[in-house]
Amino acid sequence: MDKTRSDAASTNTRRGVSASPGLPRALPKVEARDRSAVAKAAIFKLRDVNVSYGGVTAVEDVTFDLLENEITAFIGPSGCGKSTLIRCLNRMNDLIPSAGVAGQVLYHDQDLYAANIDPVQVRKRIGMVFQKPNPFPKSIYENIAFGPRVLGMKGDMDEIVEKALRKGALWEEVKDRLKSNAFGMSGGQQQRLCIARTMAVEPDVILMDEPCSALDPISTGAIEELMLELKRNYSIVIVTHNMQQAARVSDRTAFFNVDKLEEGKRVGKLVEFAPTEKIFTKPDDIRTEEYVTGKFG
Amino acid sequence: MTEQRQHFQQQLAGLEQHALGGLDLVVEQLDRVLEALEHQDVELAQIVVADDDRLDGRYLEVHQGILSLLALQAPVAGDLRLVAALLHVIKHVERMGDQCVNVAKLIPLSGHEPPVDSDILYKILQMGQFARAEVLQCKRSFVERNVPMAEDLIARDAAINRLNREIFRHAIEAGHDEDVREWAMIMTMVARALERIGDNAVDIGEQTAFVVTGLFREFSDASHVATR
Amino acid sequence: MAVAESAITRKVVERASGGQRTRDLLFRLALLLCLFIAVLFLGVLLVDVVVDGAGFLSPEFATSYPSRLTPDTSGVRSALLGTLYLMVLCGLFIVPVGVAAAVYLEEYADPARWYNRLVEVNIQNLASVPSVVYGILGLAFIVRGPIDIWGLGKGQPTLLAGALTLGLLVLPVVIIVSREAIRAVPPSIREGSLALGATKWQTLWKQVLPGSIAGIATGVILALSRAIGETAPLILVGAGAFQLFDPKVDGPFSAMPIQIFNNVTESKPVFQDLAAAAILVLLILLLLMNSVAIYLRNRYETKW
Repeated sequence: MDKTRSDAASTNTRRGVSASPGLPRALPKVEARDRSAVAKAAIFKLRDVNVSYGGVTAVEDVTFDLLENEITAFIGPSGCGKSTLIRCLNRMNDLIPSAGVAGQVLYHDQDLYAANIDPVQVRKRIGMVFQKPNPFPKSIYENIAFGPRVLGMKGDMDEIVEKALRKGALWEEVKDRLKSNAFGMSGGQQQRLCIARTMAVEPDVILMDEPCSALDPISTGAIEELMLELKRNYSIVIVTHNMQQAARVSDRTAFFNVDKLEEGKRVGKLVEFAPTEKIFTKPDDIRTEEYVTGKFG
Repeated sequence: MTEQRQHFQQQLAGLEQHALGGLDLVVEQLDRVLEALEHQDVELAQIVVADDDRLDGRYLEVHQGILSLLALQAPVAGDLRLVAALLHVIKHVERMGDQCVNVAKLIPLSGHEPPVDSDILYKILQMGQFARAEVLQCKRSFVERNVPMAEDLIARDAAINRLNREIFRHAIEAGHDEDVREWAMIMTMVARALERIGDNAVDIGEQTAFVVTGLFREFSDASHVATR
Repeated sequence: MAVAESAITRKVVERASGGQRTRDLLFRLALLLCLFIAVLFLGVLLVDVVVDGAGFLSPEFATSYPSRLTPDTSGVRSALLGTLYLMVLCGLFIVPVGVAAAVYLEEYADPARWYNRLVEVNIQNLASVPSVVYGILGLAFIVRGPIDIWGLGKGQPTLLAGALTLGLLVLPVVIIVSREAIRAVPPSIREGSLALGATKWQTLWKQVLPGSIAGIATGVILALSRAIGETAPLILVGAGAFQLFDPKVDGPFSAMPIQIFNNVTESKPVFQDLAAAAILVLLILLLLMNSVAIYLRNRYETKW
């Protein structure tokens, strides 16, 4: 997949943050202090994305831009479709036969769901870390080396492994036991191994689906610090049900909510997308305010 | 453990520095206004009035920073006490700045060449120096989290209060010359402003004690004469 | 206040009533009795076989040919070699075919399609078809029939035909066990591999199959343990007995169960003891195979 940046990308840098045009109650206000919106390019552009399982719509009409070298958080009550949406970004939803994606998911202005796009290529550039750490039942070395090997990456494997482990803030802890089994590590270390493994294949984007929910507070803290380090070179999207985590680490936050339709159907919708500070100090939408203050969800 | 939440710790430290930096600005303003008093420099007084905008701006920045930190980082325990204390501290800093402005505004009122009672002027300038020392001490006590140093501010403040009373008595006895009396009245108002600066410094000392001990305790009741 | 007092005076944990305890005890005794009966039968059989046949066990027994005429020096050489070759060939057949079928059914087959559902249902059925039916199948299609094995086409019994017939017999078992082993690999491993940019094939070959190899190997050995004792299909395919030559892949062959069966039907009582000795040899072989299976499972099993 080639990385052609069209002219559309450069005009979008000036547009910066755009909220969904379908918001019922608020008009987006461009923050005068939000200088970051001018400098960064949009790495993902979602336009009217709908995801359904077996014909039943799970998430509807999602339109917004995710910016480069930022941490974007997806928050919202359970069932609002945030995990569903993040899995669209690297076509992991393809693994579910009944899943259907409509609308455009543009990565560097290329539609990821176009007919001629190979999902395997997509996943090389857009990596994912899952909720429960899932190291392979192999040695730490082999865990990291797996990705580069299957992708045919050239170079000294020892160096590649060391580089990845350093990026994952794990090198110092494991450098003397690279051949030991990954299952012998603690939960927090395993998750950092999964992050390092993702980075070994040199992606642009790291998607994280509730990466800390199975971990203790110390390990969570370590991973949050890691994320803040990584965002200098990668773009990160994190789904979290922990609002404080979203507040601590993310630059921009998207709040999703569950709309109850007739016949008891529930569908997820994007309510507000704004810089995190705004979401947590003076959100535009009353539903956002009620969610972050804990009145529901 | 020292690696955790570096980002947050840096933000908090920066906020503290920014807030306490306001005290340096206050000292600058105080020095200027004392010089203006000594030499009856009306232009310098005007500069002091204009420069207060810097302190007001700093107040807004620190306030916004505190709100942001509370919303995004949810500080607890010592961190929370620090943030709450900084909210008070910046308010006191802003008030100190306002008192300097009050003094500066009084200078032109006494005319370009007022009759000067050297005794009163000397005491005023001495009060100014004491106030200046108190501001620096309260800053240092906060930075070092030094409670004894903070509590010592009471003793310092007693000296300022004493001078304030003396100036007042002196002004009453200023006597025969009407111009001198008028000038002396204005000086009592200046003295009061300087005394308020000292009180604000003591309040900042109380915040230091709060950060360290978690207890908020008034060092002395302003309505009673300090017995130390 | 009265309520609180009675709560305190009442015992915090109530002991089981007497009747409850008797019932528990009786249940345990009943279970132990069942186990005892099962073990008893096995034990009696074993003792009987050992008593009758232990006398004949020796290295010469394994290396001498069986003979009707000189029972005292009769051995099981041709039958033993036949059984060993059968197991090897059978294994070479069932491993690739069985594992490939299991991989297809678990990883690639869309369970909504009718033909996949048909296969699914029938594998369970095939595992319980009587072994003599497989013998008929082997005779009709492999020995005599259209499938011309090694250009023989002569309708003669061959070791290869025997191995294939046994393979068909135990193939369903291998497929079922391999599917279980593949299914035991958690989906999170597959997701993790795919999320790194590996293809489905790379994921299978480098993560799923290595992770299920212990289960597959155990399943294959257990299938072979079943095959080793099957007599009916081998009779139909034309295995011989009392052969005085080593078996060849494309030629006539013997096998331990056949030899045992033929020993038992001889009139002289000494042949009963020879049969018992041959049974012992077979049991030792089975024991070895099962030990290997257990060792492999303990050593290489991944605890997810």
